[in-house]
Amino acid sequence: MKSDPHRAVTLPLLLKKEEPAPVLPTDHTGQDAGPVVPPAESVGKELSRMQIERRRSTAWDFRARGEPFVWGLGGALAVGIIMILGFIALVVYNGIMTFYPQPLEVVSLRGGGTVAGELARVESFRPGPDILQQLPEDIRARIGNDKGFARRFLYRTGNYDLYNEDFRWVPEYDVVKRSTPKELYFFERLEWGPFIGTIKSIDLKDVVVDGAALKTGTLNEAMDQAAARRSRIRQLERNEMGKINHYLERGRLALKKVEMTHGEHSPQYRQAQREYREAAAKLEAQHAELSKEAQLIKDQDSKFTVTLADVEGKEKTLKLSEIVRFYPANSLTFTDKLRIYFSRWWEFLSQEPREANTEGGVMPAIFGTFCMTVLLALAVAPFGVVAALYLREYAKQGKLVSLVRVCVNNLAGVPSIVYGVFGLGFFAYVLGGSIDALLFPERLPNPTYGTGGLLWASLTLALLTVPVVIVATEEALAAVPQSMREGSLACGASKWQTIKYIVLPRAMPGIMTGLILAMARGAGEVAPLMLVGVVKLAPELPIDSIFPYIHLERSFMHLGFHIYDVGFQSRNSEAARPMVYVTTFLLISLVFALNAASIMIRNRLKKKFFGGHF
Amino acid sequence: MQQTESQYKRPKETRRSVLIADKVADKTITIGGALVIAAVLGMMVFLVLKVVPLFEGGAVQSHREYSLEMPGSRTLALAIDDLKTIAVRVSEDGRITAWHVDSGSPLESPRFDLQGKQVTAFSQCIDQRHMAFGFFDGSVRFASVQFKTEILTPEGLPAGLKELSAGDKSDGRAIYSIIPGNQVRKTWIEVELEEPIQASASNSPIIALDYRLKHFGERPSKTLAAIDRQLVGVAMRVESKLNLFTRKTTLAVDKAELPALPAGTAVTHALVDEGANSVYFVDKSGTVYRFNTRGLEEPFLAEVLRVTPSGVDVNVFSFLVGESSIVVGGSDGSVNIFFLLNRPDAAAQDSLTLVKTRTFAPQPAAIVGFSPSEQSKTFATLDASGGIRVRHATSERTLVSVRESGMPRSDLAGMIVLAPRVDGLLALGNPITADFWGLSIPHPETSLRTLFGKVWYEGYPEPTYTWQSTGATEAFEPKISLVPLIFGTLKATFYSLLFAIPVALLAAIYTSEFLDPDLRGKIKPAIEVMASIPSVVLGFVAALVLAPVVETWIAAVLLVFVVVPMSLVLAAYLWQLVPPPIALRMEGIPKFLFMLSVVCLAMFTAYHVGPVFEDLFFDGNFKAWLNRDRGAAAPFWFLALLPVSAVAVSTGLSRLFGQRFNRYIRTLQPFPAALADLGRWLAVAGGTLAASYIMALVLQGIGIDPRSSVVGTYVQRNTLVVGFAMGFAVIPIIYTLADDALNSVPDHLRSASLGCGATIWQTTIWVILPTAISGVFSAVMIGMGRAVGETMILVMSAGNTPLLDLNIFNGLRALSANIAVELPEAPKDDTLYRVLFLTGLVLFAMTFVINTIAEMVRLHFRKRSMQL
Repeated sequence: MKSDPHRAVTLPLLLKKEEPAPVLPTDHTGQDAGPVVPPAESVGKELSRMQIERRRSTAWDFRARGEPFVWGLGGALAVGIIMILGFIALVVYNGIMTFYPQPLEVVSLRGGGTVAGELARVESFRPGPDILQQLPEDIRARIGNDKGFARRFLYRTGNYDLYNEDFRWVPEYDVVKRSTPKELYFFERLEWGPFIGTIKSIDLKDVVVDGAALKTGTLNEAMDQAAARRSRIRQLERNEMGKINHYLERGRLALKKVEMTHGEHSPQYRQAQREYREAAAKLEAQHAELSKEAQLIKDQDSKFTVTLADVEGKEKTLKLSEIVRFYPANSLTFTDKLRIYFSRWWEFLSQEPREANTEGGVMPAIFGTFCMTVLLALAVAPFGVVAALYLREYAKQGKLVSLVRVCVNNLAGVPSIVYGVFGLGFFAYVLGGSIDALLFPERLPNPTYGTGGLLWASLTLALLTVPVVIVATEEALAAVPQSMREGSLACGASKWQTIKYIVLPRAMPGIMTGLILAMARGAGEVAPLMLVGVVKLAPELPIDSIFPYIHLERSFMHLGFHIYDVGFQSRNSEAARPMVYVTTFLLISLVFALNAASIMIRNRLKKKFFGGHF
Repeated sequence: MQQTESQYKRPKETRRSVLIADKVADKTITIGGALVIAAVLGMMVFLVLKVVPLFEGGAVQSHREYSLEMPGSRTLALAIDDLKTIAVRVSEDGRITAWHVDSGSPLESPRFDLQGKQVTAFSQCIDQRHMAFGFFDGSVRFASVQFKTEILTPEGLPAGLKELSAGDKSDGRAIYSIIPGNQVRKTWIEVELEEPIQASASNSPIIALDYRLKHFGERPSKTLAAIDRQLVGVAMRVESKLNLFTRKTTLAVDKAELPALPAGTAVTHALVDEGANSVYFVDKSGTVYRFNTRGLEEPFLAEVLRVTPSGVDVNVFSFLVGESSIVVGGSDGSVNIFFLLNRPDAAAQDSLTLVKTRTFAPQPAAIVGFSPSEQSKTFATLDASGGIRVRHATSERTLVSVRESGMPRSDLAGMIVLAPRVDGLLALGNPITADFWGLSIPHPETSLRTLFGKVWYEGYPEPTYTWQSTGATEAFEPKISLVPLIFGTLKATFYSLLFAIPVALLAAIYTSEFLDPDLRGKIKPAIEVMASIPSVVLGFVAALVLAPVVETWIAAVLLVFVVVPMSLVLAAYLWQLVPPPIALRMEGIPKFLFMLSVVCLAMFTAYHVGPVFEDLFFDGNFKAWLNRDRGAAAPFWFLALLPVSAVAVSTGLSRLFGQRFNRYIRTLQPFPAALADLGRWLAVAGGTLAASYIMALVLQGIGIDPRSSVVGTYVQRNTLVVGFAMGFAVIPIIYTLADDALNSVPDHLRSASLGCGATIWQTTIWVILPTAISGVFSAVMIGMGRAVGETMILVMSAGNTPLLDLNIFNGLRALSANIAVELPEAPKDDTLYRVLFLTGLVLFAMTFVINTIAEMVRLHFRKRSMQL
């Protein structure tokens, strides 16, 4: 290299092409960490230009600070946080507010006519040219001022049976007057969605009371009686008559089985047939009796009716028992509102869905999710732990085992839908088909286990999550110090005793964490379930009062699938949206709770095992 | 003392129970563990096993050969019933011979009473049941042979039946077969011959005839094309109407006489479609005369063309089911399929023309026999040397070579017929011997070409990649190209990663190197928990909340991608103006809060400026602009080229003035230096805008328009929304793993760099990142694996349109979503079922490759960072 008088100056500049050569200023005040900050005071005026040049302070070499890049990095994190907060806020707000009773508005329209309903949403939109054409001059001018945007309100008007729509968009320019009349009621019905209107009259079995003269006490009392009748009818039809039908079907199948094993002309078959006929006659008599009772109550029930009128005066007569809940939306006190709010939550958590899942509750879905997750945990825990123990403690560590380990790690990343495909093809069709052929030949060609069901769904998800548990358990096992194993073995413990008393307890926090994470993943997974047994509406729960009490072959409902089904497959996605939000809120809370539990358990067990000892 | 003694004498053997427990645990864990792992890996094997049958053609399962006593003249037609019980032959004198397919034993059968008239032409419908005779006197009679079945109980069996083969009995007229469920199926035939209709106006003999039957509700509509010896053709539509009172059927005949063909034409084949829109007459030498007979009002000769090379005769000219494909078999053994396609530049008057679209492996001798299937695009061909092949039109595959060619058998009469369910094939010889082969062709339509290649489907103007697995009728041709689905998966992955990678990686770097440790301890677990949000929730939010919002505010959304980075950089330059002591005190959480508020402010600005921006750039309506209804291409290019020109301008300027400027800036006080730096950035920004604008104008001038390629017509559920939602799913994964990788860089490296005087930024970019880069790469790959396999978000928010379209504003259908949508409806072991398994396998393979790469890189990284 040529000697250069200005070398001290040029060298860093040359170096900069590869990488910046940071040179410490002599008067640098910062310590080891923290950004290099110009020592403002010390860079005084007494330093001449030459001196500055020679010392090359990085103080204002902004490239070394990289401020714009740092802001880019921070901005990315900020974007991520905003997205997450926005998402959580959206779900939580909508999930919590959905059941809070809203006031009812009555809107008089410019072209005549009135609309009554809950205000669901307000948004800006751009009216098309053909709409603008028909508007009066002043409104057009106003929209023109707003760059072609206008506001519109979405009202939940209900009364689907009268108008064939649940929701109605009302542009702001069409509104003449908005009011909140006190006498307007909001009725939640078993069918046709809500009704919004006033009570015209009420017919309590020949006693007709006019709506204006109605006392709240009378109405509430009548409503309570109607609800009792409704639940009695339901009890009779669903539970008792359903049970009888179930027994009849079971008897028929048992008879068919006898026929298949012994033949049609065998004495066993005749015997069985005779018994079946006797039993069936008895059951049918019971059935007839129950249905008579149900009919009686229904006849009684149809005499209690209420006549409602909507804001445009159209009347509608309903049975009292068809009304789930009603309230004068605009004259509620805060406690009333809270009561309605919690009663709706209770209905949501404890009842079955109505109206193609868009109303009512999600109890079967909660129950299905719960059953599936528990079964999944029962299946995945032993298998995952055994496989990990084998890999870590028993198998000879070598090329093959590390290959298997790579494969297992890989399987954790295989798409869930592929597991669903496997579950359908192998569990349901191959395994289930064989079980049907062996154990339930009398039910064929109707599949029992040979189609999607709770058991197969749980096993599929267990397979999906087993790599998670294996990886977590292996890591936990690896974290137990070798010295502890050696100590135990040196004391004369056998290998299994060492594992049982020394290794497993210390690995437990890790294993539990893995297991709970697997449950959280399983609880939220939907795609494979769509193939192996989730249905939009399961008539029977997987656990009930009919022997053998746990029915693993039944298809079931699931919160995640419920979201998909209600949001995308229902008649009116707008009407279903509140339901979807609440279900989403529930599912996310469940998944987050499981995650939080895993973190808490990890911390507690860590304290227990590692706290005092070392 | 006593105690020590007893302790001393304690047995030193291990207790048996301990030994047994140890053994049991040992065995259980070894076997159980190995089994679990084998089961998990066995999944792949199972998927492969399910897919393999797709690529096996067909097989001959059984072969029967028998001789039959068949009196009389030439065979006109053969037919078999759906369940391969009875076979029927119709001969020229109207006699019908029926026999039991399995054994060949003859059955008594009725006959067509043709009143001794000479049959000069004959046609059989594709259902094999209906046929038409053309006579010497120019008349035509429709006839049918129906197979009737009835289910009986064993008690209902007549006595004195003759056992024909296992399970089949006969009383000489009908066959009684025992079927599962302890029942008996009775099969017999019934024939019907209708009254003659005069087809030839000049009472000349009919020389060629084609007959189509369409069931239109209750009323059958019969279409007929015939040509007489005077070479005058006729197209007819005959509808029979049943009078409900008199129970008499009347015939409504719609008839059109066609212009005569040139004299000397030796017409051998006639063909007409169900709607009587086109009539084809084929000369023996291979010339096709196509008449356009639409509406039967003004028929005209539309096209004359050759379908075989000269010197090659046409021996087969017939439709496949659906009447889009015309199979042409030549005397040279060639088999081709022609479509009638719309070609505006065609010579024909109606701008339609016959186009050769599919070519099959030729047979060694002239094609003499042909039999189409009524239920699929499968057909069989027979050559003059006795070779019989079963082929499939879409896959152009020879599925089974039922009998090899080159066995010169004098007894070949050139008659074959496929069983209706394509599970058997009957060939009739002369003198009367018959061969029956039981076939098994489970998946005729699949081949590597139909799954992954371009296929020219019926009714399509050109070969395409298409996925359309199910149709309404049997004539529908399943289109099972996986290419649009793979493309959809890649498109969704690409756009989601385009969004997710920058956000996740930059955020991870910030978290790991710059963020306050307390805050980091809170933010990181929160983002980790976000990774467990069920994707169905993200899909719901994307499709029902995000998609409408993005649609309404599309301009603002696009603007965000420009405004947020710009305002962050601007904020950084302004931050440099802050006096260093204050800036140092604000380092950490307050600075991050500033960043957060800058981002919020930028989004807010974009939201408000959106409409103005739309007015300025896209003529006030972005969606109309996308549809090419208004506006020019330049504004879009301007936006798209901003990053490119920013890089170009900044590197260009720093090359030119960088050193001089830096030397100058060092001479300044902090505040003026920061001002100068801001000025430099503003200059760069201005230069970028100018450069981008010029380039956009140039591109527009050349005439390159991005519309209808990377951007195009706006659909509500589009790739932008999908990319955003999937990015949401992928960001936590990439973020967590990348942060872990960055964090696992040993602290001594960090300390050393900082100790040498490097700033944190310099340490990060020159020390930490290069060390952790393979770990970061592995994080990206794992994120990509998750994006490839994501299902519910795509099912819900991608629109599920299987298109090969780059347009970011259009929907897509991914492999995973396709499985979720179609598998629940697919019948078990059906072709679609197996193709969906193949889809699963492809998905499995894709993620497996990606994950393996990630895993290998990760192990490498681990080894390297251990050495540090």
